[in-house]
Order: sequence, then C-alpha cells, then structure tokens
Amino acid sequence: MSLWRQFTRGLRVLGNRKAADREIADEVGHYLEEATAALVAGGLAPDEARRAASLEMGNAPAVREQVRGYGWENTIDSLFAELRYAARRLAGNPGFAAVSILTLALGIGASTAIFSVVDAVLLRPLPYPNPEKIVRVWEQAPDGHRMNLADPNFDDFHTQNDTFANLAAYEYGLSSVTGGSEPVRINIAIVSSGFFQALGVEPFRGRTFAPQEQRLRGAPAAIVSHGYWQRYLGATTDLSKFHLRMEGAVYPVVGVMPEGFDFPPGSAVWTPRELDPEIPSRTAHNWRGLGRLRDGVTVAQARANLSAIGRRIKAQYGKDADLNDAAVVPLADAMVGDVRTALLTLLGAVGLLLLVACANVAGLLLARTSARRKELAVRVALGAGRGRLIQQFLVESFSLSVAGGTLGILIAVGAVRALPTILPANLPRQQAVAINTPVLLFALAAIVAVAVSLGLFAAWRAAAGDLQQALTAGSRSYSGGATQRFRAFLVIGEIAATLVILIGAGLLGRSFLRLISTSPGFSQQNLITMEFSLPIPWGASSDPTSEQSGILRQIHLMDDILTRLRAIPGAESVGLAGALPVAAGDNLADGTFLLLNGQKPPANFDEWGRMAHNPSQAGYALYCVASEAYFRTLGIPLIRGRMFGEQDDWNSPHVAVISESLARERWPHQDPIGQVINFGNMDGNLKPQTIVGIVGDVRARGLDSPPSPVIYVDYRQRGMHGNSSPTILMRSALPVGEIVSAARGIFRDLAPDAPVKFSTFANEMGGWLADRRFLLLLVGLFAAAALALAAVGIYGVVAFSAARRTQEIGIRMALGARRSNVLLLIVGEGARLAVLGVAIGILASFVITRLLSSLLFGVSATDPVTFAGVAVLLSAVALLASYIPARRAMRLDPNTALRYE
Amino acid sequence: MDELNTDIIQGTLDMLILKALSLEPMHGFGIARRIEQVSRGVFKVNPGSLLTAFQRLERVGWLNSEWRQTDNSRRAKFYRLTRTGRKQLEVETTNWNRRASAIARLLKAVG
Repeated sequence: MSLWRQFTRGLRVLGNRKAADREIADEVGHYLEEATAALVAGGLAPDEARRAASLEMGNAPAVREQVRGYGWENTIDSLFAELRYAARRLAGNPGFAAVSILTLALGIGASTAIFSVVDAVLLRPLPYPNPEKIVRVWEQAPDGHRMNLADPNFDDFHTQNDTFANLAAYEYGLSSVTGGSEPVRINIAIVSSGFFQALGVEPFRGRTFAPQEQRLRGAPAAIVSHGYWQRYLGATTDLSKFHLRMEGAVYPVVGVMPEGFDFPPGSAVWTPRELDPEIPSRTAHNWRGLGRLRDGVTVAQARANLSAIGRRIKAQYGKDADLNDAAVVPLADAMVGDVRTALLTLLGAVGLLLLVACANVAGLLLARTSARRKELAVRVALGAGRGRLIQQFLVESFSLSVAGGTLGILIAVGAVRALPTILPANLPRQQAVAINTPVLLFALAAIVAVAVSLGLFAAWRAAAGDLQQALTAGSRSYSGGATQRFRAFLVIGEIAATLVILIGAGLLGRSFLRLISTSPGFSQQNLITMEFSLPIPWGASSDPTSEQSGILRQIHLMDDILTRLRAIPGAESVGLAGALPVAAGDNLADGTFLLLNGQKPPANFDEWGRMAHNPSQAGYALYCVASEAYFRTLGIPLIRGRMFGEQDDWNSPHVAVISESLARERWPHQDPIGQVINFGNMDGNLKPQTIVGIVGDVRARGLDSPPSPVIYVDYRQRGMHGNSSPTILMRSALPVGEIVSAARGIFRDLAPDAPVKFSTFANEMGGWLADRRFLLLLVGLFAAAALALAAVGIYGVVAFSAARRTQEIGIRMALGARRSNVLLLIVGEGARLAVLGVAIGILASFVITRLLSSLLFGVSATDPVTFAGVAVLLSAVALLASYIPARRAMRLDPNTALRYE
Repeated sequence: MDELNTDIIQGTLDMLILKALSLEPMHGFGIARRIEQVSRGVFKVNPGSLLTAFQRLERVGWLNSEWRQTDNSRRAKFYRLTRTGRKQLEVETTNWNRRASAIARLLKAVG
C-alpha cells in the first residue's frame, strides 16, 4: 500500500516537476508568512518581524531544496540530468561520438553475429526430447578409429546391451524419388526400428512404421519430411494416394515428419531398413548407429557396456571381426565434429576484435578525460562526490555503449540475414541461426560489460592524481603524462591483439592458397558435370540372368546417352565415372581387393573372404567405375600399358587400370601390368580382372589428402553398382547454359525418369572448399577491421603526443634541429609502440595458433613466413599512421610552435 | 550565557507531528507552533526538517494533505491524519512511554 503510494507520488512528481516545485515553494512561502504574522501579533513591527522570521527559518531556497530532495524520483532525475549532460557533451564532440559509437557497433555487431552461429550450432540443445540421452554409436578398431556398424555386430549390440532404451541403425544417401509432383534426386534415409523412438519424435501426420513393414521382404512404406510433403505432395492431408518409386520399388507414404525434423541432415524420405536382407559379414561396416540411453545411464556406462560386447565379438569371431571396442558419443557432439574448432576460432577472432574496439574507445575516452580534468576539478570543488563523478562517467559510457550496441544489433541482424549465402553447406544445424533471446542477451551482456569497463576505467583514470592540481596548473603542463602512458599501453595491447588475428588470417590464407594451387591430378577448367541415377537398377532382381540383362540394358542406355552427348556441337570429350573425384570428398567406395597371383579365383564370397585374410594376397584401394573417355576428359595421363578399349566388353576377359600410387605401394618391385586381381566384393561380380594399364594419380579424397590408390574398372564390363553416383563429365569451352539445355533434352528423350543434377566442376569444387573459404573470409574481415582500428589508435596516440610536444619541437628547431630529426622523433614514438606490440603479439601467437593446427594445410602453425609477413605489415601500418602527425609536426613554423599554448 | 538545547530528540519528530495532528488538521507553521507551545519552548522545530518530514509521512501514508483557506484567508497546505497514521501514533506513543520510563528508572537507579 505505502509502496504503491511511494511509487505513484514519485511518478506524479516526475510527471510534472514544475508543479511539485511550485507547491513546495508555496508551502515554504506560507510558512514564512505565518511566522511573520505570529511575530507581528507578538508586537513586532512588520519589517522586523519578517527579518526575524527569515532568520529563524534560514535560507528559504535551501529549505526548498531540502524538501525537494526527498523521494526516489530524485535519483532518476539526477540520472536524467547526467544523461542530458552526457548527450550534450557527446553532441558537442560529434567526431568523438561517431567514431566511438561506430567502433563499438562494429565490435558488438560482429561478436553478436558470430555468437548467433555458435549458439545455434554448438550451444543450443538439439530439438528432441531429452537430447542429452541421444548418442551416436560406432564400432571401434584396435587402432582406435571408428567404424560404422556391420549387421551382425549391430544385432549383437542391439540384443545384448542393457544400457540403451533404443538402439537403431540407419544410413542415407542420394536417390531418385518419383511419385511426387516431379522426379527428384534427394536424400533418403534407411532406418531400423527404434530410430524415431531414439530421437523421440512422432510423425506430424500419419504414423511410424508398423511391424509388418519392419521385417524381411515386408510391406514397403515411406515416411516423408515436412518439406517434401509440402513441395511435392501438395501438403495433402490424405496420404493414401501417394506411392513413391525409389530404386525400382514402390513405397506407400504412411507418415509425414514434423516441420524442422532434420535427421539425418537433409533427409526427405525415410524407409524401413528391415525390408532388405542383412549382410552376414562382420566387417561390412554399412550402418550408422543411433541410440537413446536408458534413464540414469551415463554415456561412459553405455560405452563400457558396448565395449564389452565388442570384445566378446572379437574373442568369438577372431579374424572375421575387426572391432574390439565401441565408441559412444552424444549426438550433439558427433554432429558438430570438427566444426567446433572453426567456430571457436571465429569466436576467438571476433572476441579479439571487440577487445581492440574497446581499447580504441578507451583511448579516445582517456584523451577526452585529460582534456576535461579542469572541468572535473571544478565539479569536485563545487561539491560533487566521487560517486557522482563515477556516475557521470558510467552514464557517458553507457550512452556510447548502448548507442553502439543498438547499431551493432542492427548490423548483426543484417549479417544473420546474409549468412545463409556464405555459410558452408556442410555446417550442421545452420537453419537454426537466428537473432533470438539468448543472442540478444549476449549482445546486452556485451553492451553492459563494455559500458561498465569503459566507464569505470575512465572514472579511475580521471580521479587518479590530484584533481586540485589541475585547477592551479597551466593548461599545457597538465595534459597528463600518466594518461598518455596509459594510452600507449592500450595501443600496444591493441597492436598485439591485431597481430594475433592477422597471423590467424595469414595462416588460414596460406593454407587456402596451398590447397587451391594443389593439382588434383587433372585439369579442372571447362568441366561440366551431370550427376544422375540410372533408371535401370543394378541388383533389383535376385535372378542372375535377369540381373545380367539389367546390367546390359543399363550399359546400352549409357552408351546411347554418351553418344548423343558427344554429338552436341562444342563438346570436346565426354566421360563417365561412378563418382566425381575430389569435389564431394569421399564418394568413391573403398575396400580390400584380392591378388590372385595365378591362383584359382574364389568360387563364392566365403572363399573370397578366407583368401583375403592372407595379407600377401590382399590390397587396399578405392573403386571407380569409369569409361575410357573419362581419362581423356579429365586429362589423367596414361603412364604405361593401355586404356580400356573397344575389345573390352561384357564377354571378354575383364580388365582394370590402376593408379600410379597403387602400383608403387602394392607392387614396389614388380610390374603390376598383367597381374590378376579380384575386386568383386565391390559389385558382387566374382569375375577376376587383369591389370592392363597404369594412369596418373588423382587426389580422389580431396585436395588436402595425398593421392589415393585407385582401381578403375570398365563400366561396359561391370556396370554401375548400387554404391555409385553415376556422373558424366564433359569438357567444353562453350557456355555452360547452352550445353546444359542440349544435354537436358537428351536425358529427357532417353531417360525421362532419371533426375539429373547439372553443375560445373569448379562449382562442385567450390562447395568442397566452402567451409575453408567461409572461415578465411570472416577471419580476414575481422583482421582487416582490427588493423584499421589499430591504425586509428596509433594515429590518435602519436598525434596527441605530437600536439603536446609542439613547444618542445619549436625549441628543438630553434636550436637547429632539422626537419628530418623532428620527423624521426615523432615516427619513433609510433615505432616504439609497434615494436612492443608486435613482440607481445608474436609471443601470444606462438601459443594461440597451435589451436588452429587442425585447420591448416601445408603450413605449420608457427609458419615463419606468415609471422614475418604479418609483423612487417603491421609495423608498416603503424609507421604510416604515425607518419601523418609526424609530417604535420615537421612542417611547424618554429615561431608559432614556441608560442603554442 | 549557556545556549538552551532546543533540538528535537532524534527520531521523535514524526511522533510529535502525528500527535499535534491528532486533534485537528493543521498547516505546517501551526504544527511547529503547537509543538513549541505545548513543550513550553523546550523544542523548536526546524522548518526544513518539518516540511521534509511531511513529504515522508505523506508518502508512507500516515498523512493526507489538501490546500485550504486559513482563518485569516490565506491559502495553506493542511495536513490530516489518516487511519494508519492514527494507529502509528498509538504504536509510537506506547513505544516511547516504554522507553522513557525505562530511561527514567535507569537514571533513578544511578542517582
């Protein structure tokens, strides 16, 4: 009740301060009149009575002030007064205000934008119930590397564990899907029972898979994503009429997942894993593992549980199993993976940028504070307490920080809008990047932290030393030597921080240059890529003769398409391969192959497996189905032997071409040409292959990996198998658009059901480099911003110091100092700052850049070229920034300088 | 000549104001004079403290105020006890009496 009264009365006073003041004045006046009247009644003359009454009351204005001073609203009032005062002062120095606000806006805006990404990708919990219980599961090999799950091993994990509420296997990949409004090549996921339960998500429409859909050769069924449902199924409520055709089978649509459900990332369709038979091999690591822990079970306990099962499998099956352990990792960590380092690097860089920005503004504040010492001394002399002074500085720094922060948030909003265009496609969870409450809280915290540190810092510096001295001292002598030293410290710190960011950017930049100048092993220009899926599937039938005819029809169709494409005017050469090398990273399957060395080829895969246990008979390579023209199109040179030729067809002895590195690795002292191998485990065809040629190396796994050993087989002998993403490569100097429209027509004629993805190799390569480019771009931007701020900081300190030393310079010149001496004197000041800052920065960088190691390629974390280059660059900028005031000092007229006050 | 101490005992001004107002509404000077007269000149009220105390007591809700004509037809701000103000006066009076008699006993014992 009384609190309410306090509040409303205070508000009333705030609302109309004038009326409240008048009321108090009236009351005081009336009191005086009554007192006078009482004295007159007591027998005094009116004049005398008035004097006596006034005397008794004391100073009337003081009484009014005393009465007026009561109430909480006065604190606010004085705050407003300070605010008005601060605003007036800032407006009186618009240059200072604008530079400070823009600097802070840059720092706060950039950090807020980066924080929004970090928040979405690293900090925010996954959008599933109890996300901390969801884990990824792997088999682990004795050497510690993680492997996907083989069917029998997964079954053992699944049935023997007592720590998981759900354990599911899943796999995903691109596939053609027809049956919606148009055919698309899209990600489909094959998931075992328990998958949706592990994530804890129910379909938004329809249902999850029923038991009869989760058994061998059961009823096919598909669940689609919300996006697919909207785009290709017209968001129709009745799902019963939709049947999707994928890889030759028909799947009725039974459910739609809710909006935002995106696991595995990018999936549009989910189908049951149990429809297909299991592969009995314990080393066919085909499935990713996903699980939900039971209540009260920790990740460590679950891992111990699965490890024990893994060891048991190893003990029981020996050489038939290659695991002896298991790995269990929280899903959130597994999804983020190596992105963490990149994001933390960005956060670190932007944090340093914010520090540099603050140091700059602190420097400006210091300069102003020392110029304002007289004014402060007057305020203190008039009775302003220390608290009042601190309040004044805080109000000023808060005005700057809030203005800068508000502008910064606007910058961040713009940046977050623009982010999707520059964020690398493989950054997980980027759809969640937004300016939301946690991000705004971060910005707010940054604003308050900046305001409080700047305000207290300025107040501390202002109150340092004897303020009274400022009143008595001459204008020049009290520009504050200590303050100037302090600004120098700030600038040294700024230079050091800038150097760290610059070195980070330099290392990333050199890595990037190294990477793009690395030859992939072929020429990359003018290459158009067409990725598609074959309408005639491989392995769709269990009947060998119809399967053979399927492959033959597939080969026939490919031949037709390739012939027509070759006929497009301007097409120089057209090749076919089972995957695009380099760009997508790991599209090519890899595995163990068998060296026959004159032995009888294995009759079945059991025998194949036994033979492969003997290390002298086994080798490892990537597997690539290709056409003869593929090598010509990419410009992969034939080193020795021959290419695939016309004589190599379905019925002739099968041949293989190997890469140079495989020849060197596996046959160091022999001629590989003429050797017979069996790589039938890749496509299910046990017919052996004879090596007929050796071709140049290709960095098939990506530019940052060494050339991989590859075995190429002829598509006309082996066909495209299930793991391939058939890709046609065409070299042509003509505009891409012309070729693509011609090629589109050919595909429409010959394979109307096969969706094709047209692109250029440069484009695909760009996608592969996108995350590095993104990181480099942002760190580079931050480095440039920090460099600019540091230059301004150096300029500010040197210019201020030069101005302070005007008289000294005048004396020196009068005594015969040459202009060049003056120039050196002033530039020397900047140089001293730069040398100290660079030295500290280099020491710090030695420690900090080590954290970047995993992001570097071909450059060490302490690369001397980068360190030296950056140090020289920063020193040059520092000298340039101090040259400007130095030149001004040099041109001073000694006469004017001597009289300078 | 010794100056007589006419300061109001710390913390009792509020109680004196409430007491003065317990009979009838009064304006500031009236209250000051009443305190002076009733105490026979022992207490003299400082106008600044008095007017500030009015602000405080009004905010706390013990007093209400209004502008009215005085007997000699001047406009003055009159203060009146509220219900809670009256209760507060009782509380303060009891407290005071308890303490005053305690102090009196202590002084007697020492004397």
